[in-house]
Amino acid sequence: MAKEIYSQMMKELSEGKYVFTGELEPEKAGNVDAPIKAAKEMLGLVCACNVTDNPQSFAYVSSLAAAYKIQLETGMECVYQLRCSDRNRMALLSDVLGAGTLGLKSILALAGDHVALGDTPDAKPVFDLDSTTLIHMIRKIVDEGKDLGGNDIEDPPKLNVGGAAAPGAAHLGAEVGKVKRKIKVGVDYIQTQVVYYQDVLDKFFKELGPTDVPILVGIYPAKSFGSADFFDKYVAGVDVPPDYLAAMKETKAIKDKEKKREEVDRINLEFFTDFLEHLKGTPAAGCHMMAVGYPRIVGPLKKVMD
Amino acid sequence: MEEILGYLEGKKNIVVVGCGGCATFYHTGDKKAVAEMADKLTKEGKDVTKISMPLGMQACETEKISIFLQKKKDKVENCDAILVMSCGDGVQVITEYTDEEMGIAKNVYPANDALGLVGGGPNQLKETCQSCGMCELGKTAGICPLTACGKGLMNGPCGGVREGDKCEIDEEKDCAWVKIYKRMERLGELDDFVEMNDPHEWGKMKRPRLFELKEPMSMMDMMGSMMNLNTISGYMSMMFAKPPEQKEEKKE
Repeated sequence: MAKEIYSQMMKELSEGKYVFTGELEPEKAGNVDAPIKAAKEMLGLVCACNVTDNPQSFAYVSSLAAAYKIQLETGMECVYQLRCSDRNRMALLSDVLGAGTLGLKSILALAGDHVALGDTPDAKPVFDLDSTTLIHMIRKIVDEGKDLGGNDIEDPPKLNVGGAAAPGAAHLGAEVGKVKRKIKVGVDYIQTQVVYYQDVLDKFFKELGPTDVPILVGIYPAKSFGSADFFDKYVAGVDVPPDYLAAMKETKAIKDKEKKREEVDRINLEFFTDFLEHLKGTPAAGCHMMAVGYPRIVGPLKKVMD
Repeated sequence: MEEILGYLEGKKNIVVVGCGGCATFYHTGDKKAVAEMADKLTKEGKDVTKISMPLGMQACETEKISIFLQKKKDKVENCDAILVMSCGDGVQVITEYTDEEMGIAKNVYPANDALGLVGGGPNQLKETCQSCGMCELGKTAGICPLTACGKGLMNGPCGGVREGDKCEIDEEKDCAWVKIYKRMERLGELDDFVEMNDPHEWGKMKRPRLFELKEPMSMMDMMGSMMNLNTISGYMSMMFAKPPEQKEEKKE
């Protein structure tokens, strides 16, 4: 468990509470009105919300600016996602110091998708650091008040740092090796990529073995067939189950908006209730609900875990 | 070709240079490629002068290219542009040589889009080293993640490994970090896999990089080495020959 606790999420995890986190996605816009609205809907249901950083390498509002504004205006604790795809170690350091300055308490350190997968494929990919060395850098900043070059940092920021894991990765041995590496360099918590299959999750926990780092398992209740289909086709390392996808596809034919919403909710509740029931028996410390643009599902899903 | 014709628009007399190094090896600047390029340009109404350099005579070495440019000095002096079938090194060495040594300013255009240093063969060649100046191979089971990993991660794999251990950005390519894992497993060194590799020191790659050879190889030395192999065909057969089978020594 983390040596120092700075964020509310880390506090609840250290108290042994089962933690729920949500996810907010800034848009390609000059404002963060939509994620602010979603954050307000999830207040009281989740203890924190991740704010995504150019997910799938689509360039959106800066996650630093968005996380700051959402946290300020709604009171929702924001987990600032920071990826290495677009910044070298200097820019990453500046942003980590910026996060502390703006009162953010938690960073999720990510390598990030390759820019070739997104809407700006001709951009120069950076990857000066990777997720492990970014976690290491944040540890040094927070714990030692030093940057990677050993330069002193005055009044270092107080941040908890998280890392990702991909239980569904094609090569589990290599993936778990990487997760162990993140644990060795001092990650405070882990949030996983989306998992759909119970056996995939079980194999991951078995291969990883015991750890005192809390792990929040990611799920993705999709708000529409389009979202689920996009996830299946374009999100690296994730396969959406064909049955779930087929059921979601059938909702496309429903013309009445209200009935369509009800059916989408029913499919998600049915599928994820089963998964969440299973989750209770795993070493997971919580659940990361990536219900982007779909906050209404968080409450009903959370009830399953009561 | 469209791009090349764009460069050459309004220019009549063209010198086409084919490099005798990599571009000859990969047939993107050999004698045949130069002839084909010349034909295409002639059909577009250009007057073409061909300079084909034989294998072993690289356009990127001033001493070698100078022989060929000086031999056709008149054509070079009177041309409207030089089109170079080589990597960017050849293009720029020719630019520098014509500018500074021959004292003539000409447009020098690339005909090729060079893809980088490659190895392997005989058919499939791949980039495995980017000459970064700070070799990491000793830490990564002899596979360079900076080059072989699509993201150049020093600590992988990323979360996007595809079915069949393929790369997130190209399902035709293997994930370098799964390969590193498998090699470490075979070497019995998996404990090292969970150790963090420090961030790569890019400070060794301040561009442009300059090198000074204390004892440069002279043309005479090089010709001597070639003579020892008798002929180019002898040289080639040595390159592609299978190593002689080793006979087991009988122990007495």
